[in-house]
Amino acid sequence: MNKTLGKPIKRNEDPRLLTGQALFVDDVNIPGMLHAAFLRSDFAHAKINGVDTSEARAHPGVVAVYTAEDMGEDWAPGPSNVAPPPGEDVIFHSRTQVPLAKGKVRYVGEPIAIVIAESRYIAEDAVEDIMVDLDMLDVVADLETALDPETTLVHDDLDSNLAAHMIQDKGDYQAAKASADVVISRRIEIDRGAAAAMENRGIVADWDEKSQHLTVWDTTQAPVPIRNGLAARHGLSLSQVRVIAPFIGGGFGPKILLHYPEEIMIPWVSMQLCKPIKWIEDRRENFHATTQERQQIHEAEMILTREGKILGVSHTFLHDTGAYDPYGLTIPLNTESHATGGYDVPNYHGELKVVFTNKMITTPVRGAGRPQGIFLVERLLDLAAKELGMDPVEIRQLNFIPPEAFPYERVIIDQAFSPLIFDSGNYQPVMQKAVEKIGYHDFITEEQPRLRAEGRHVGIGITPFVETTGVGPYEGARINIEPSGKINVATGVGTQGQGHFTSFAQIVAEQLGVEVTDVNLVTGDSTEFHWGTGTFASRGAVVAANAIHASAISVRDKVLKLASKILEAPEEELELEGGYVRVADLPRMSISLGELALEANPLRGAVEPGTEPGLEATAYFGPQYGAAAFGVHAMIIEVDPETMMIEIKRYVVAEDCGTILNPLILEGQIHGGVAMGIGNAYFEQLIYDENAQLLNASLADYLVPTACEIPHIEVEHLETRSPLNPLGTKGVGEAGTIPVPALFAQAIENAFPDHDFEILEMPLSPNKLFELLHNKENIQ
Amino acid sequence: MKIEGEYVFNGPREEVWKIVRDPELLSTALPGTQSLEQVSENEYEGEINVRIGPVGGEFAGRVVISDEIPPESCTMSVEGKGKPGFVKGTGNVQLIAQDDEKTLMKYEGEVQIGGRLASVGQRLIDTASKSMINQGLDTLDQALQARIGADPDQGEIEYQPPSETEFAASVAKDMAGSVFSSQWVTWIAIAVVVILIILVLVFMSRGGV
Repeated sequence: MNKTLGKPIKRNEDPRLLTGQALFVDDVNIPGMLHAAFLRSDFAHAKINGVDTSEARAHPGVVAVYTAEDMGEDWAPGPSNVAPPPGEDVIFHSRTQVPLAKGKVRYVGEPIAIVIAESRYIAEDAVEDIMVDLDMLDVVADLETALDPETTLVHDDLDSNLAAHMIQDKGDYQAAKASADVVISRRIEIDRGAAAAMENRGIVADWDEKSQHLTVWDTTQAPVPIRNGLAARHGLSLSQVRVIAPFIGGGFGPKILLHYPEEIMIPWVSMQLCKPIKWIEDRRENFHATTQERQQIHEAEMILTREGKILGVSHTFLHDTGAYDPYGLTIPLNTESHATGGYDVPNYHGELKVVFTNKMITTPVRGAGRPQGIFLVERLLDLAAKELGMDPVEIRQLNFIPPEAFPYERVIIDQAFSPLIFDSGNYQPVMQKAVEKIGYHDFITEEQPRLRAEGRHVGIGITPFVETTGVGPYEGARINIEPSGKINVATGVGTQGQGHFTSFAQIVAEQLGVEVTDVNLVTGDSTEFHWGTGTFASRGAVVAANAIHASAISVRDKVLKLASKILEAPEEELELEGGYVRVADLPRMSISLGELALEANPLRGAVEPGTEPGLEATAYFGPQYGAAAFGVHAMIIEVDPETMMIEIKRYVVAEDCGTILNPLILEGQIHGGVAMGIGNAYFEQLIYDENAQLLNASLADYLVPTACEIPHIEVEHLETRSPLNPLGTKGVGEAGTIPVPALFAQAIENAFPDHDFEILEMPLSPNKLFELLHNKENIQ
Repeated sequence: MKIEGEYVFNGPREEVWKIVRDPELLSTALPGTQSLEQVSENEYEGEINVRIGPVGGEFAGRVVISDEIPPESCTMSVEGKGKPGFVKGTGNVQLIAQDDEKTLMKYEGEVQIGGRLASVGQRLIDTASKSMINQGLDTLDQALQARIGADPDQGEIEYQPPSETEFAASVAKDMAGSVFSSQWVTWIAIAVVVILIILVLVFMSRGGV
């Protein structure tokens, strides 16, 4: 069949987005709406003795000011996003974020008070009138000393700053080490970055006292859970709360904290004042109020035979969760899931320690722990190849999980606490594709020696990676054929630029024989569809897409059944084409889907027992476990030895994310991911000082790569269907980002063959590279 | 942040010491100072306007002087809080007599900076603070010259401290010099000064309402 599925169809949503007709949260303006601004802590750690809001309250135009004390019994820490990890030996202390700081502040940017005023300008001016009496406390800024017994406590009720501890094993690493020929041990350090979405966060809440109904527009990636949480918090029925996540200018993970302090406060204030309230995060606020990621320090080790076969990987690592740990172990467990890459590794030992510090909370940012894991395994493998005198491509090919080994059991647990299993894959052809496309062998034997002879610093990198995607629990969708013949689809996941309005529509069009543009999709509105979890973990094209697929099949069955009766032809002789159901051999005998929809919903007469009105179906899908995607990135880079600025000469991606729904959208996802990865590798780093003050909280100082830094990206596709879902899809949302830091390290080292230096940290920057290269000991 | 530096005063150590411990003179040396009062023998309280790059506003703070060995050395701890953030630090000041006419001041300290001042003003703060210190010390030196040169019979010579605008212009010139090559400095400094003057005028007109 495949009329639309897998085709490079242009996006349904783009005309609206490109002409400014799409609704974003800041476009919501309600008569009588008031504006909020938050007083945020300047201190990373301080005791609050008192907050004097009297002057701010007296400020003309100010309607209300609230502190934690003013919230009375409504003040409560947010719920945890995830369940505590299982296992008897696992330590996990859940400390979740608070709506407004009470007693003490634990990070710079933690909200202390909220001002509601006639305009945002007035609200911000009045914030400066609030006097806070604070006593500075010692600051926990350093990840490594945070666990020392004499270090100050972020949470006074705990014995230490340890938030979680867990050990995972596969095989017997120590025993394997005894027989290993090669042992590579290194300390690997990854620092923080921001998601830096184009659209910051924002919330509009409107409590209507007369109808006793709360409507919230929120830049969340998880509108249904936010609706559920707000209803529970305020003792409302689910039907009294509607959460809408309209068009969102980028999610990338941080828009799924359940709930941010602002997501509690704005609806709460609206209910207090019976007024619509708007809060839009500004860019500086975004640096202090939106979650971040990636800081980890690993003591890592790889053991191999002299032939280059990996015998085991071991690492002990510290993960910085910031001041609270609402996202549990998702990030560090993801790191563990990827610390053995796409390789057949018989022995594994991982010990994770999650640490509280006086910094912004960390939650998944596109990649979500995976880039750290891939950086670790790929770096160790590069060093092993060097020691063994092997080609970097060859050592990888030697260790890939062979196709017959799938489903491949890793023995450890994944981020969803399910046993980590790689469902399917065929890695060698993907590697081969990347090697051919970038011209690996010609480059290293001919071009690179020629360029080096000219004194140029050109390097090549080739880095494979896995991505665990599409985890459960479930998503759902409702599809309805309307009398106009158009198809209406509603699903609970939100959309932040992934092209859902097109790729999901293609799935429906494929089943119902209509144009993709005749499928209208509604995402992220809890009233339209009120079951679901959200857009995260590269799961939209796996979990939501398969729910839509199942729902479309149910509707198709209904269409065929009714049309068979009306057209007096057996179902198997009918086909759906161009918005009509027709008898395949007698195309004149047909009925349009619109007419059929009317027939299915008669105004008079009797409905047969057991049938339902309309051509509508709802279906759900939950995978047994996540699907593992695979890819290889290859890059040729030139470094200017004076400025350390880079020029990416070629960038090749060979990817296998199972069935392709729409290659245009898929490539767009990969392009965006690579851009973010390049930022992670060479430009973007959040710099905190020793007192946990963020020193580069502006886009003038925090460098996001621009179009000038992003190369042309060549993408090659292979398809190994996932056996875990009917469409055979695997996720790809985070794929572009994951291997880039490892790739950069490899390619840059390769560009300086006469310098004996190792890149064991990320992000890099021109300055850091200069320091690494000019450390005299590193020059041979 | 570490602050460290040296400055040579053109005067004897005892005179320099007197100046350093004179709150009225100190407040003129750092224009923007709204007030500086000695609240006890070794404690001063005051308010100062600071503008560093995009961050500006009023700080209220306190300076405590300890371990004083006149006229040789003392320790100063500073704590300030204001709309743009906070500052907290301790520093040591040492005066070394080089000859009858010259005194070397050595200072070093450790300062914690937080809030907007740190997160947005960071890349300007190092140059700005160095420049502010140097400009301030230059002013003190001029005051010193005025005192030394005064005829004891006629009382002290009228000493004219620089205005806030003049001071800001000098700081801006220093900052521009550290960022841009010298041929541009003059032009950038002029542009910055014009902007600063406009800002000051706007600030004054707002304050007057």
